[in-house]
Amino acid sequence: MSKPLKENICEEHLFSSIFKKYSKDLHDFLYYKFGSQLNPQDKMQEAFVKLWENCIKIPQDKAKSFLFTTANNLMLNEFAHQKVVLRHQKIKPKHSTNITPEFLLQEKQYKEKLENAIANLTEAQRVAFLMNRVEGKRFKEIAELLEISTKAVEKRIYGALKKLREDIDEL
Amino acid sequence: MNRENLIQKWLDHDLNTQELEAFKQLDDYDDLITLDHQLKGFKANSFEKEAALETVWNSINSTKKTKKYLPLVSKIAAILVICFGIYFYTTTLDTTTNTIVSEHKTIILPDASQVELNAVSVITFNKSKWYNNRSISLDGEAFFKVAKGQKFDVKTSLGTVTVLGTQFNVKQRDAYFEVTCYEGKVGIDTNTKQVTLLPGDTFLIIDGKYIATEKENLSRPSWLNHKSTFKSIPYKEVVAEFERQYNVSIDFKNLNATQNFTGSFTHNDIEIALKSITLPLQLKYSKTDNIIRLTRE
Repeated sequence: MSKPLKENICEEHLFSSIFKKYSKDLHDFLYYKFGSQLNPQDKMQEAFVKLWENCIKIPQDKAKSFLFTTANNLMLNEFAHQKVVLRHQKIKPKHSTNITPEFLLQEKQYKEKLENAIANLTEAQRVAFLMNRVEGKRFKEIAELLEISTKAVEKRIYGALKKLREDIDEL
Repeated sequence: MNRENLIQKWLDHDLNTQELEAFKQLDDYDDLITLDHQLKGFKANSFEKEAALETVWNSINSTKKTKKYLPLVSKIAAILVICFGIYFYTTTLDTTTNTIVSEHKTIILPDASQVELNAVSVITFNKSKWYNNRSISLDGEAFFKVAKGQKFDVKTSLGTVTVLGTQFNVKQRDAYFEVTCYEGKVGIDTNTKQVTLLPGDTFLIIDGKYIATEKENLSRPSWLNHKSTFKSIPYKEVVAEFERQYNVSIDFKNLNATQNFTGSFTHNDIEIALKSITLPLQLKYSKTDNIIRLTRE
């Protein structure tokens, strides 16, 4: 048996490297899927604690799946069906010098529409879309994380974009 | 390159310069860029990876303490409790010794008193309480050589034999109760009678009736020398004793079971023993396997 397979994630250095590799993606995944009010960071950390507790049973190449599944379940256990609210971080526009009140109002309305529209996406669409748009991930990377095909990612993201624009135009 | 394809490529961050120009020419380019810009505002909170990892290690270590050491400690504690329990239980438990058919055993009690146990008999006594309470329960027949000391009780279902320091034989089989004193003094307490035996005296109750017996002049019961001796004892008791000394069952349905028998049989030779118990009463015996049938001649 080759060495990497034999190596156990109970090794502290290996566990730490897994943490560094996946903690952000896992956190983002939870955030985009369930929103911020369920404290994705806590769940992410809890999932890693569970990974450590089961480190003997889990081969290294299954660690990612375990983490995503566990964290997802932790979230589901807490709040089965709560409407996802993603809060806009209110980034300051660069051209802040010549802002008219109309523009501010417009922008506020636009953000509200966007928040609603994002909340109306399906979980699968929202996760893939925001990972792509906000985190700048490519289709292939998302496909690997979610363990689905690139084609499916493409569909989800394009579908999400279409739905968002329809919703925004409608409102 | 159609519009949809361009947007797909833009989404996948995969536009080359030429395609980018084409993308910029789309009618909804501005809309898309505004949307994209606004979407950045939904960025997930960033967190300090090192600090988060630290938190994970801390919670791993705290659960390790409670989850891994606690069961270990409780396991050790449980084992100790069980060991102590077994030790305590076994040391205070009554000691029981029994014999099977045709077996004799010698038991030395904690105070060096000696018990000879005849076949198919059980004695029970408590080792840890022995010096405060020399009490032994007997079911069957045994010869006692009691060391001098406090009173010594032999409890049977038909009565209690109390002595100080002496040698005596107790035989209790079903409704048969016989005590013979060989040395010293023996007190007997049954439901019906209280007697004191002097050396050579025998106390005998069969089926609740007291039966007078003549003086015994042996110094030890004959069974210690592998011989059972009877003096005017109902024949069924003789047969029962025979069955205990040899692993056989005796069928004597047609005979008078209460007829008295005087004589003895040896424990070492079944043929001679059978003759000893049949010839005086003019009986015949036939033997098949372990069953012996007695008939009149």
